[in-house]
Amino acid sequence: MLDFIALQAGFDLLFADASTWLIVIPGILIGLLFGAVPGLQISMAMAIFLPMTLYMDFMQAMLFLTAIFTGGSFGGGIPAILMNIPGTSSSIATAFDGYPMARKGQHNLALGIALGASTLSVIFGYFILLFLVKPISELVLKMGPAEMSIIVIWGITLIASLSGQHVIKGMIAGFFGLLLGTVGYGEAGVTRGTLGISYLLDGVPAIPAMMGMFAASELFRLVNTKYLVDDSAARKVSISKIFSGFKSVVRYPWVMLRGSLIGVLVGAVPGVGSSIANLLSYIQTKRNDPDPDSFGKGNPTGVMASEAANSSSEAGSMATLLALGIPGGGATAVMLAAFSMHNITGGPQFIREQTDIVYAIIFANFGQAFLLIILGLMFIPVLANVVKVPMHFLIPSVLALATFGSFGLTGNLSGPITVLIFALIGWVFKRYNFSVAAAVIGILLGSMAEESLIYSYQISGGQWSYLLERPFAILMLVMLMFSLFGGHLVTLLTSKVKTNV
Amino acid sequence: MDAKKAHMFADLFVTFIIAGIVTWYLIDAYTASSHIINLILVLPISLMVLALCIVEIIKQIKNKEEPTEKPEPVMTVIPVICLFTLYIASLAWLGFDVGTSLFIAAFLWLHGERRIIWILGYAIAFGFLVALFFSAMLPYQMPMLILPG
Repeated sequence: MLDFIALQAGFDLLFADASTWLIVIPGILIGLLFGAVPGLQISMAMAIFLPMTLYMDFMQAMLFLTAIFTGGSFGGGIPAILMNIPGTSSSIATAFDGYPMARKGQHNLALGIALGASTLSVIFGYFILLFLVKPISELVLKMGPAEMSIIVIWGITLIASLSGQHVIKGMIAGFFGLLLGTVGYGEAGVTRGTLGISYLLDGVPAIPAMMGMFAASELFRLVNTKYLVDDSAARKVSISKIFSGFKSVVRYPWVMLRGSLIGVLVGAVPGVGSSIANLLSYIQTKRNDPDPDSFGKGNPTGVMASEAANSSSEAGSMATLLALGIPGGGATAVMLAAFSMHNITGGPQFIREQTDIVYAIIFANFGQAFLLIILGLMFIPVLANVVKVPMHFLIPSVLALATFGSFGLTGNLSGPITVLIFALIGWVFKRYNFSVAAAVIGILLGSMAEESLIYSYQISGGQWSYLLERPFAILMLVMLMFSLFGGHLVTLLTSKVKTNV
Repeated sequence: MDAKKAHMFADLFVTFIIAGIVTWYLIDAYTASSHIINLILVLPISLMVLALCIVEIIKQIKNKEEPTEKPEPVMTVIPVICLFTLYIASLAWLGFDVGTSLFIAAFLWLHGERRIIWILGYAIAFGFLVALFFSAMLPYQMPMLILPG
């Protein structure tokens, strides 16, 4: 499985010149900053700094860009924990328990756990990639549009199942989001649901909608609160607590391993991977926990599960990029641009002929994870002071930041307007227990679900029997059905067994 | 009408609104094109949402339980929503620099902050510094009143 000669060459590439590593620290800091500021995206950071890589050799360019990616993957969890604003769609599940922990005064612990889970899972993820880059890429090739459509529907039903006693409302919200995600110019060449507004021709801006639904709506709910953490004694920023949170992740090896595996495998699926991986890991951890009701109320393993999956999904998306030359999202698309700027084409030929570079990229990420630990432990105490800011200062500041960020995403005022409209929708949804997270996932994946269905229809010629030729699709359908009705089935069967006994 | 009934009616109203929007969207999509490519996702998902709304409405009518969480009073949230709406609406004229500073100053005043130095100092510093940072980072022209866009 391992090519030891290439391994040696990869080491040489990385450590022949110490200056190669000098660009890693600024890369991680840029990633942390862009991940932690609501509205700034990792892909945006990579795109802004992409021209700089023209003056670097390919290895340096890759190190710099993956450092931004690694820093940003963790950075996105910081606003999710402190302000309930997932920096990226892959940090949505981090907010489920991270934010309640922060509100209980356990912000130090939550941030430490997020850092520990992120860095360890980056190492796990790339370690898996070291051995399985080829099998993962072959697995990804088996994912056709039919499987993609099922993954999207699965993701929405999974997240709806988190709504406790409001599962139906969760599903309504998820499917409503899915429909909103299809607004605009469709594949059939006609516009739908735009109300004649030209801004909507390209669809609802998904990230500003996410910012409105998660962040702004939550801030509306907090207008009567004095501080994010009510108890003044709990507002302290404690490096020892951050460090104890960081260390605590090693006590949950199964949560970490499961999260990392889910992250790498699901993260490798282009487009949907990282958005679904964190949810899947969170749900599996909740299911296997002896106290599943504590999830959503500040259970530390919830933060761990989500961060483990979202950080290792970076390794999964890199597998697809390196082995197939397919970018899984915005960040890897920028990396693909860096590939072409250096006249390199990803794909099977690349990993066969340039295995040393692939190994060097993997080893570089191990090093970056260790650097992230140091930089993260320095960076977190500064950011954790957010809990000391009175809410009447914090609310308008975060609302304004979301407004700036949304403008940055769209380049016009449609971003801020989207934040406002979806803040109102989010506030109403939260007030009446419709799942905001399900709606957001729906909006993010709506157009992709539709495209996948159309391609499946075109490939199959409208024949349902096409599904029977796709074992992966059948497996996923079975898993979807099991996740929907499995719990009820088990309850039904066990109650029958008990009656018979 | 007691609080529980008011909450139940509002809950029902939200479900009806969602069902109404979905019905409108389905009709709009169907009017645009009845081709299968156009309706392949919209039709089944819309029907599913409508069916789920019916189930939810029946569930809500039959439900006799008290809402577990007491939501925040609407009257305290409305002024914030209005202020935020005004802020977004004024950005094209006031720009991000002045608009943001005014929004923050108004919010602070509305929420009981009376130290003028704090209000003006924080609002102006935050509004202008963040506007400057974003205008430097973003590749597009930002609406500004005083700072360069």
